Amino acid sequence: MFLRMIRGAFSRQIKKMLMIALTIALGASLATAMLNVMLDVGDKVNQELKTYGANIIVVPKSTSVLNNLYEVEDGSATAGSYLKESELGKIKTIFWAFNIVDYAPFIEAQVTLPDGSGAVMTGSWFNHHMELPTGETLDTGIQNLRTWWDITAGDWINEQRDASENEIMVGEALAKRLGITAGDTLALSSGHADKTLSVVGVFSAGGDEDEEIFAPLGIAQEFAGAEGFCSSIEVSALTTPDNELAEKAARLGPGSLSVSQYETWYCTAYVSSICFQIQEVITDSVASPVRQVAESEGSILEKTELLMVLITILSLIGSALGITNLVTASVMERSNEIGLLKAIGATDGRISALILSEIMITGIVGAVIGYFAGIGFAQIIGRTVFQSSIEMKLLVIPVVAVLVLAVTLAGSIPAIRMLLRLRPAEVLHGR
Amino acid sequence: MNKRKFFLKMITSSLMRRRSRMLVALLAIAVGATILSGLVTIYYDVPRQMGAQFRNYGANMIFVSSSGDAEFTPEAAERAVAGIDASELVGYAPYRYETVLIHEQPLVAAGTDLAGAKATSPYWYIDGAWPAADGEMLVGNERAELLGLSVGDTVTVIYSTEQDEADEAGVTAEASLDMKVCGILETGGSEEEYIYLSMEDMERLTGNEGKLDLAELSISAPGEKLQSYAERISEAVPEISARLIKRVTESESTVLTKLQALVLLVTIVVLLLTMICVATTMTAVVTERRKEIGLRKALGASDREIIGEFMGEGLLLGGIGGLIGAGLGFAFAQMVSVNVFSSSISFQFWLIPVTILVSVAVTGLACLMPVRSATEVDPALVLKGE
Repeated sequence: MFLRMIRGAFSRQIKKMLMIALTIALGASLATAMLNVMLDVGDKVNQELKTYGANIIVVPKSTSVLNNLYEVEDGSATAGSYLKESELGKIKTIFWAFNIVDYAPFIEAQVTLPDGSGAVMTGSWFNHHMELPTGETLDTGIQNLRTWWDITAGDWINEQRDASENEIMVGEALAKRLGITAGDTLALSSGHADKTLSVVGVFSAGGDEDEEIFAPLGIAQEFAGAEGFCSSIEVSALTTPDNELAEKAARLGPGSLSVSQYETWYCTAYVSSICFQIQEVITDSVASPVRQVAESEGSILEKTELLMVLITILSLIGSALGITNLVTASVMERSNEIGLLKAIGATDGRISALILSEIMITGIVGAVIGYFAGIGFAQIIGRTVFQSSIEMKLLVIPVVAVLVLAVTLAGSIPAIRMLLRLRPAEVLHGR
Repeated sequence: MNKRKFFLKMITSSLMRRRSRMLVALLAIAVGATILSGLVTIYYDVPRQMGAQFRNYGANMIFVSSSGDAEFTPEAAERAVAGIDASELVGYAPYRYETVLIHEQPLVAAGTDLAGAKATSPYWYIDGAWPAADGEMLVGNERAELLGLSVGDTVTVIYSTEQDEADEAGVTAEASLDMKVCGILETGGSEEEYIYLSMEDMERLTGNEGKLDLAELSISAPGEKLQSYAERISEAVPEISARLIKRVTESESTVLTKLQALVLLVTIVVLLLTMICVATTMTAVVTERRKEIGLRKALGASDREIIGEFMGEGLLLGGIGGLIGAGLGFAFAQMVSVNVFSSSISFQFWLIPVTILVSVAVTGLACLMPVRSATEVDPALVLKGE
């Protein structure tokens, strides 16, 4: 009998039930989309912030001491004043290797131009291809770390091409001074090497780099007389904003932490713990956060996440109220039916059970449809804004389920109670 | 006149009699309107607020001496800064670099407006305190380690007008100043090699006002506006060439565009769904009254009159709900702004009429459909309950 009544309700009032299901589906899809976007926005914005370049810089322990105190002539590769090129791969083997997005080694050499004046040649990776010990591959280099460069003529150096070892890129200001452009050749010399190199690109960096020559690492090492070495490494890593623990570790050194604090710190992607891990694998190095990038990243990430959390809360409240409202309205509408049921002797409990199960069935159908629609909305947002898909979090399913359940109950119970209080004669009379 | 009075009375008494239902409808409209005005306010304010956050990356424009003969004086820099909208200027710090000696070692000392430096480079970490009085200075971390300096130490800073001659002739051409180290500067960049002192101390040390080498500016404005500022300044003040720091400006516009697109899309999705929710609730509230419509028709009311009355009711509800929602929305946006950005939001007053209009339109449309379908059927059928 109970089932038949429910089935009857659905077939007779299909339009009304569809409307309730539609509203619940809309509310659920809104909640699903917003929760998914909110939970993933941190990672996405973190990726975007990588356009600011490296947030960690690694230098040899004793560069400044050697250069400033003893005025070592550049080129004499004493141990400790350079980092070993052979160790670069190790950066991708640290605990937080997965968070290292890009990195590139740098080496500077003083070169003499054809007109006798001097210039700085910086050697680096452009789009270096690496086979990692883990079996993964990584393409990294300054093409990713200098996203703000404008290539005004020619193109980037492509290290994958065979001829690339004799190619260079020249800063815009220097190119203008020398009157050269992409396609020309440039004869350079230093105390260690003497070569004619072809210019494949001219770039505008909007800074001191506009006066420099950029070359593949190997060439610059030759000119600097430091084969197999580099003088600094720029690392771009995804990091977690600092908290008190991270600040303590950065200030007093990891030694000041208790064992459990140390573990938490080591296993969280704080910029200080990543620096520490890099120092562990690169001999005689000092890795320090570039405060300009690391600090700002943290604050922007925090703000964006908080903003999204608040917007999500607003839309959750909105969809909750929307559903409650409609459910209340549709229950109130049935005062006649409830009056009639009471008049022919149905108990309050049975009436409530009947109406609740009708609405719950509708709610479940709506919630399921809404969940999948919400995933769709989240993906539309992810694709349009970040050109990558939003990761689906399983956590969202129970949250949405509980939300819909609670909201539907909250919408129907007060209305049912109010209607049950009415006297059937009055209701049927139409008052 | 009489007719209008009657119409108003019908609407208000209908709303009063069916108080609980009308409250439900009003609540739905108010929620919709709150979301509309709240999210749109946030959307409009995000670029400004987020832009201010991006100023954490430091200066986005520098002044350097143009290649002409004219000297880059502090006055010229002041004149150039005057051309920038004061509300957009986050910080301005002039820099003058001189080579000095501490413990017989040459190093670069930068004279600057320290308050300005603090504003243009919010990422500087000072171990100790910012210089507050004359005779205090900041020492870069690396330099401090090299010289063995720590906070509280006092050292003699020596400036010699002509370095080469001074070396031969001894102390004659030198000026010196005892400076207290009040803070160690950490940045992770080349700033750690320098020492920083106030412009006044620099003038006392060198004995002249000299020209500036560089000025850093942090301006909270979009990329194109910065470009036009740079062009305008370079033209108006010939001593100065204003340049954008591409790394900061380019990256900022990339990230900021994405963030704004994110908020826009979220706003659109939320608004769309909320408006449909409002519409379905209104439809449910009106559908319930088919019987009433049937009765009126049986009593001889024309379709036009019935539709007019229902619409009047709906529009009144829409207006009230819209007004409440506009207020609540602003309150929400203000709360978000204070919590997230710790600054108050800029109100978009045109949003109040827009919110009310949209609420009225959505409610009107939501009422119209069920009322029309109710008036189209035979009153006898409606009254019978079919």
